[in-house]
Amino acid sequence: MGMTQQAEPAVTTPPASGPGMERDGRTKQRPLALRLLARPEIGVFLGAVAVFVFFLVAAPPVRDGSSMANILYQSSTIGIMALPVALLMIGGEFDLSAGVAVITSALTASMTAYQLSMNVWVGVIVALVVSLAVGFFNGWLLVKTGLPSFLVTLGTFLILQGVNLAVTKLVTGNVATDDIQDMDGFDQAKAIFASSFDVGGVQVKITVVWWLVFAALATWVLIRTKYGNWIFAVGGNKESARAVGVPVTFTKISLFMLVGFGAWFVGMHQLFAFNTVQSGEGVGQELIYIAAAVIGGCLLTGGAGSAIGPVFGAFMFGMVQQGIVYAGWNPDWFKAFLGVMLLGATLINLWVSRTATRR
Amino acid sequence: MTTTNDSPVVELRSTGKAYGNIRALHGVDLKVFPNQVTCVLGDNGAGKSTLIKIISGLHQHTEGEFLVDGRPVRFSTPREALDKGIATVYQDLAVVPLMPVWRNFFLGSEMTKGPWPVRRLDIEKMKKTADHELREMGIVLDDLEQPIGTLSGGQRQCVAIARAVYFGARVLILDEPTAALGVKQSGVVLKYIAAARDRGLGVIFITHNPHHAYMVGDHFSVLRLGTMELNASRDEVSLEELTNHMAGGTELTALKHELAQVRGVDVEELPEESDLTATAS
Amino acid sequence: MSRTFLPLPRRLVPAVAVAAAATLVLAGCSSSSGGKKAEDADSGVSAGKATTPRMTIAMVTHAPSGDTFWDTIRKGAEVAAAKDNVKLIYSNDETAADQANLVQNAIDQKVDGIAVTLAKPDALKDVVAKAVKAGIPVIGFNAGMSEWQKQGLLSFFGQDETISGEALGTKLDDTGAKHALCVVQVQGAVNLEQRCAGVEKGFKGKTDKLYVNGADMPSVKSTITAKLKQDSSIDQVVTLAAPVALTAAQSVDETGSKAKIATFDLNKELIAAIKDGTIEFAVDQQPYLQGYLAVDSLWLYKNNGNYMGGGEAPILTGPAFVDKSNVDAIGVFAAKGTR
Repeated sequence: MGMTQQAEPAVTTPPASGPGMERDGRTKQRPLALRLLARPEIGVFLGAVAVFVFFLVAAPPVRDGSSMANILYQSSTIGIMALPVALLMIGGEFDLSAGVAVITSALTASMTAYQLSMNVWVGVIVALVVSLAVGFFNGWLLVKTGLPSFLVTLGTFLILQGVNLAVTKLVTGNVATDDIQDMDGFDQAKAIFASSFDVGGVQVKITVVWWLVFAALATWVLIRTKYGNWIFAVGGNKESARAVGVPVTFTKISLFMLVGFGAWFVGMHQLFAFNTVQSGEGVGQELIYIAAAVIGGCLLTGGAGSAIGPVFGAFMFGMVQQGIVYAGWNPDWFKAFLGVMLLGATLINLWVSRTATRR
Repeated sequence: MTTTNDSPVVELRSTGKAYGNIRALHGVDLKVFPNQVTCVLGDNGAGKSTLIKIISGLHQHTEGEFLVDGRPVRFSTPREALDKGIATVYQDLAVVPLMPVWRNFFLGSEMTKGPWPVRRLDIEKMKKTADHELREMGIVLDDLEQPIGTLSGGQRQCVAIARAVYFGARVLILDEPTAALGVKQSGVVLKYIAAARDRGLGVIFITHNPHHAYMVGDHFSVLRLGTMELNASRDEVSLEELTNHMAGGTELTALKHELAQVRGVDVEELPEESDLTATAS
Repeated sequence: MSRTFLPLPRRLVPAVAVAAAATLVLAGCSSSSGGKKAEDADSGVSAGKATTPRMTIAMVTHAPSGDTFWDTIRKGAEVAAAKDNVKLIYSNDETAADQANLVQNAIDQKVDGIAVTLAKPDALKDVVAKAVKAGIPVIGFNAGMSEWQKQGLLSFFGQDETISGEALGTKLDDTGAKHALCVVQVQGAVNLEQRCAGVEKGFKGKTDKLYVNGADMPSVKSTITAKLKQDSSIDQVVTLAAPVALTAAQSVDETGSKAKIATFDLNKELIAAIKDGTIEFAVDQQPYLQGYLAVDSLWLYKNNGNYMGGGEAPILTGPAFVDKSNVDAIGVFAAKGTR
């Protein structure tokens, strides 16, 4: 918006309040449709719709309800992590350890329960504590040292990768955990983290429900609470936020701990869905989470974004990844297709928001 | 412009600050009274920012005393300073540019409603209050949802001042509010400084422009290289003297001699120390 | 900054306390089934120890870290090393150039023997030649069947991926499969591509290929589910790693597909799945044997001048089939992670 000399506040001696309020006339109200389109989550929504319609036409099996459930499942496992990663990004930080942290959580739960021959819930709780501790460590180191989060979390990423492998090997003698399927509490935990339910003859995974619940919760927190206000503030301008009394340290550390919570949840899903965990998994997933958040309209530099955008970002990712398979395209090109589709969808997103904000 | 003889709200007694073995500030005495504008002048690196940071709670002093309402204090966060009624408006970090005007207005002191698990922002009330308060200060904005970064520099300062006034600040620290502004906008900001003073606030106005300072100031302190060079009230100092102190009269004379030696500059054309008045800024 | 941080731990204390208390409470209810207690406390393979002079052998592989298959190779090597009074230096890197550096590192350490995998033979050519020139005996294993002789290696232990793929393909014909899906968990890995190519060659029916992201199990599951849905004529899934096979079983179950599952490589859970019929059969290349023989043969060469395979032919460690008929015998060892 062009601010020039005419951008002078009108100094009025008696305050003009009341219904017929005066306007300074600079910010002409733009049509509602255009203002809506300018929101980043609308851009990604249209991108997701475009991808969806494309595969609806190109891949007949997608039209089936169970295919949709499968696509949503894939999207949800990305999406649940993309949410806290997006909040963290709005708060101005990155977490490269998010992918392996999922595996750390699953390994912790599985090994604790198995090695001590205890109810799996003990493992689940210990894993939660460990995941939150990893998040706390990331945040604490960041505020303590003032190092960029890229470096701090790259360090944690490598540490966790090594610890995952070494501790698993040390404890189990193998590089994968033992099967905990027959242990007490497994069925209960599976019902919460990895069950599915019937919707009109289609089996829908419970992670889809959790994903949407978490997304609604994150949206509410972000827009409607003090904490949400602080997230935007610490990402937008940390120093100003501190100066007006926003608890910057608390906000940053708690955001990293939220990522820890997400990693715990997805880790528990993986453990109870697949019974065992391989210690080398999870590497590279952090970039997919970050990508979903960025496609979802979160600013890489922090200070702007939404929780609903990453939902569509994750959906777009899941849709493209599975859509290519449903379409039966030559698998050799899989990654290339994936890249092209994502770039295409992101460009639609960009084009929409550019068109909408043009004067 | 009534000067009350109340006790000072904020007082510094030979206060200093050292970062490691670098002494940024040393032996500074300052009294801030309500209903007064105390101007702190100084060149870049004179220690102005260090002074603000101590009073606003971003840093802590390492020598001397810092008193609020006559009691020694030591703030560890800006929050504590705010709780004592000391609000700071920074030149460049007054606001979070990407956030809407109303969110900026209430940032750090949000209004909420509802019991804990569902305690949420009272958006309606905040928007209404922000609009009302801004209009009180004479700022009219159509859309409080617009990012504050889209406002002009002067408007942003004014929003920040209105904000501090609303939140019951007793002492308002303004860090170079006119530095990046044009002539007209500076005038607007100066008007709000006077308005804030007339509402009973003690204002600390940091600037390196003696003209701006002299327009609204009741008391003047000039910092040089971390120490206090001048500490005088309005009736003890003229604009000329103030300007001269700011321009660094003695240093300029020395510089004049050096220039003469280096390039044979015609020093006759340059003004004498005593002439260094309003032309320098 | 550090000061503003103080209130947080105080707020955290109750949370940690609650978690600790919960743990203690839950500790009361230990699992009545499964878990470590239920696992047989069985020691691994062990034998006497050789009295030959202590020697050092470096094992340099292209393995990714945290992979069950490669861990089994390492176990075999470690057992042989313990038996032969050998100090084993194990190192691995997926990147060919870095693997070459690791071989150079072993040369610099003046080891008594090097066992190396030649996944990308050209990248390792120079450094292997250096080792040979330095008089260090080098043997190959697992990957590099076509190259080991050219590069002057003493012996080679492994399985020809194409041959084992073919063997699996031929076996599929016997089971009456018509349309197979070969699931590749890493795109662009030579040995995996060879396995799929082998299956295609040996199998009379149609073979399709599917790439999945092996680092993300939920995505593996979704992708296989999607493929089974897209092409309902698929009646056989062939996976190239044991964990992928177990995940494929879930996909097959979910889609209600009639497809059967065969896989390369083994692990503990897979043995159970073969027993209960979820997985039809597995092709094992006996990774334990590869690691074991690699070390043992270097020891033999050093102490008795023996060449396995006489320096002419590779020693094949596979393919060995594991199905319902022999699973019980093998299962005992797989449970320990050595088979």
